[in-house]
Amino acid sequence: MAERRQSRPRFTHSAARYGVALACLCALALAAWKSLRIETDFGAFLPRSSTLEQRLLISQLREGVVSRLMLIALDGADEQKLAQASRDLTERLNGAPGFDYASNGSLERFLEQGEVLMRNRYALSPAVTPDRFTPPALRAALEEQLAQLASPMGMLARNVMARDPTGEFLAVLRELDSGGVPALRGGVWFSADGKRVFILAQTRAAGFDSQGQAQAMRTVRELATQAAPGVNLSLTGPGVFAAEARRLIEHDARLLSLCSAGFILALMLFAYRSPLAVLLVALPVAFGLLAGMLLVQAVFGSVHALTVAFAATLLGEAVDYPNYLLLNAAPGEPLSGAAQRIGRTLALAVLTTVASALALAMSGFQGLAQLGVLTMSGILVAGLATRWLLPWLLREAPAVPRHRLPSLTAAPGLKWASAAVLVMLIGAAAWTVLAGRGPWEEDLVALSPAPPGLRELDARLRADMGAAEAGVFVASAGASAEAALAEAERIRPLLERWKSDHWIRAYDSPASLLPARDTQLRRLAALPEPATLEAELRTALRGLPFRPDAFTPFVRDVATARGQTPVSRASYDGTPFGAKLRAQLIELDGQWLALTPLSGVTDTAQLAQAAERQGGSASRLIDLKRISTRMVDGYRDDALRQTGLGALIILTLLAAGLRSPARVLRVTAPAAAGLAATAAVLMLAGVKLSVFHLVALLLVLGVGLNYALFFERPPHGAEERGRTRLSLAVCALSTIATFGFMSLSSAPVLHAIGATVALGALLCLGFSALWSPSASHTDTPAS
Amino acid sequence: MPDYFMRGWRTAAVLLLWTVCAPVHAQAWDVDRLMQQLAGIPEGQVNYTERKYSALLSKPAVSSGVLSFHRPDSVEKEMRTPNKERYAIAGDEVVVARNGAERRYALASQPALAALAASLRGVLLGDQALLRRYFKMELQGDERAWRLALEPLDASVARYVTRVSVTGSAGRIQSIDTEEASGDHSLLQVQ
Repeated sequence: MAERRQSRPRFTHSAARYGVALACLCALALAAWKSLRIETDFGAFLPRSSTLEQRLLISQLREGVVSRLMLIALDGADEQKLAQASRDLTERLNGAPGFDYASNGSLERFLEQGEVLMRNRYALSPAVTPDRFTPPALRAALEEQLAQLASPMGMLARNVMARDPTGEFLAVLRELDSGGVPALRGGVWFSADGKRVFILAQTRAAGFDSQGQAQAMRTVRELATQAAPGVNLSLTGPGVFAAEARRLIEHDARLLSLCSAGFILALMLFAYRSPLAVLLVALPVAFGLLAGMLLVQAVFGSVHALTVAFAATLLGEAVDYPNYLLLNAAPGEPLSGAAQRIGRTLALAVLTTVASALALAMSGFQGLAQLGVLTMSGILVAGLATRWLLPWLLREAPAVPRHRLPSLTAAPGLKWASAAVLVMLIGAAAWTVLAGRGPWEEDLVALSPAPPGLRELDARLRADMGAAEAGVFVASAGASAEAALAEAERIRPLLERWKSDHWIRAYDSPASLLPARDTQLRRLAALPEPATLEAELRTALRGLPFRPDAFTPFVRDVATARGQTPVSRASYDGTPFGAKLRAQLIELDGQWLALTPLSGVTDTAQLAQAAERQGGSASRLIDLKRISTRMVDGYRDDALRQTGLGALIILTLLAAGLRSPARVLRVTAPAAAGLAATAAVLMLAGVKLSVFHLVALLLVLGVGLNYALFFERPPHGAEERGRTRLSLAVCALSTIATFGFMSLSSAPVLHAIGATVALGALLCLGFSALWSPSASHTDTPAS
Repeated sequence: MPDYFMRGWRTAAVLLLWTVCAPVHAQAWDVDRLMQQLAGIPEGQVNYTERKYSALLSKPAVSSGVLSFHRPDSVEKEMRTPNKERYAIAGDEVVVARNGAERRYALASQPALAALAASLRGVLLGDQALLRRYFKMELQGDERAWRLALEPLDASVARYVTRVSVTGSAGRIQSIDTEEASGDHSLLQVQ
């Protein structure tokens, strides 16, 4: 099948040149090893944002309370054992490093943590007014306490009765209860069917800090095996998503890169039968990769782990150029001559690929911009190295064994048939779009790199727990934290009205924990002096069976409260409330925002209108879902615009390089056909196109143009035509293999890009082969 | 000294006799037998008086009303004086009616609530399995005058209730004394 003409390429050039090249490579590798800072924050794959709402969305997604919450579910044991496991694990998590707090719905837990509320009840309770401590009001309160004592339910309130006969602590708790929590069994949160217990934990690490989140997950797993061996543990939440996605992508990227590198190596060895030739092919690729990484580091200050993972895609493309040169050179032909001969085609192929990655580099997603810069610089360096370094190293082209390739019998009929299939594909895809199924993915969450299995688990657990996604809230702005809180407090009557109108089920105002300073001072000023209170209490107690000194602790607490300073954020340090406040009171661009989440929203549009009517208020209704959809749309529009610009540059390049409209058409037609067919197949397969698919389609365009250019170059005779065919077969096989391996990944991003490019490369190759002039010659292939 | 010795010896002897005789004597007085008797009494209602003793009170707070129970699992405590209040335990919830408003609580939501309901239901309806789920049981006395002490198994119950002592004669309950962790206790007497 293969026959060697020459045993090995001659080392006529001094080995010194190889030494220089390898030394340069080592220096680059060392520089990369020293300077590269690998970043794992998944926030890099969120879009850059312009409006306040968008920045709020991103900050919420990255660091907000929602993003830090980990939902822990235990199942696989009986109810009693699960309740015990829930208590044990919660206890351990509350002392664990990496967690702000954990709660399982238990009242005791809450009361322990709520000591700060008990201490500050007179500043926090909305029921505190001067009237509250007059003899008639006290009398009514005491009678209520007597009834409580006699009732079996009173036991729960007994502990604080002597300190708090007017029930301010309970009033504070009612304020804080925003509803919507799951059912309690055995005193802890259970799913409705009683088969699963829930614990909510707030991690210290931000949601997108995938490393910190992975550490937190390990902590939970370890503690759970200690606390409840044999019980099933499920973890979910934005942080868990980030950690899992990272683990998966790193694992897949490593494995799949190894697979594709191995495959390409085997392919090269089979094609060249010479380790030196394989080394020569690898050199431009290695230079391109290292230069690309270093440039990304220089431009962005760090390289994202995902960018490194995607380096494999660069491998698949860059390897085409040295292959094209080496396989196109006639045996014994000076390599510099061959490089000159194909120079123009090579330059066009490189430049068009660089232009196709331009849209990526300009993307609002920092992660994608990194990929774009990596691709552009990597391809450019690999192209330059192919054109100049290889001929410098090797004087004569190596002898390439001849391979018998299946002849592409490009009968004119096949050409027309393929065109007809293309038209049909496009027509069918257009029809599905017109039939109302939009082709675009509009959910920002769907761009999450988390595996779909985990997203399903999350949805199931959330539904089970009765906890909807926190999506709608009111943001109250102010110049200071105090001003923002005062604004949040000011809109409460409006929220109450919405509640009584059943527009919302509940709201969770940060002003409940931190009423405005004036409000607190007014309440504290309403407290009577000890002597007055004692006298009034004596009047109120007359005729009741209480001991005269029963409520001394009450009088003492009120006296203490009178001297208290108002509650501040610092009062809650070290408690779950502190963590909650940090999430609900945030500083953004020099102004403060107090966030009041709304739950059970029936009609967002109606609320938005009602909020609008308030006019002039410093509070705004924020619907994260709507903002994120609009953002995704905006980014897609940007991406489309940038793609259009890239296409325009490509056309200009081709027009300048080929200097013939007919040739431009011959080159662009197969690539455009391949692109359109790929997009049509994806749409017909029911895939919603996301930004990641756009990226992949851009790569397809780059690859497709390369093929079309290589095919289009007018060959001189059957010999060269055979070599072209071989070089294309090798290039296509390496690309399809690289991306084919990537499509096997269970990480959605890798799968989407891998499958799209592999399919696209195959289709582009097919159209190029069928439609190009060199393929329509039916003379015998190289044998 | 000898007195102690004698008493100890007598107890040991009684215990020994009891152990030896128990298997022979099928009708021995034990928890099983008590529960059988309690389970055998017909459904109905009784009047009660309850005295609440508390460190906050100079004299016990007295209330009274009607206690009714129906198989399989419903118990209702209706207070008539000094206030009108009603606590109805049925299924897995308790319905509290006071001050003209009705509120429902899931028994399972708080272990102490579930345990209290279990003590009432278990004793009034003779449901041994229910009692064992929440309490350690100790029976003293004989069939004519027995005393059943229930001690909560779970720490989250013991935070509120430390012991429930029930006295009675054969299948008739005389009093239920609930001791709280606060030192308060309430003695419910059946008339």
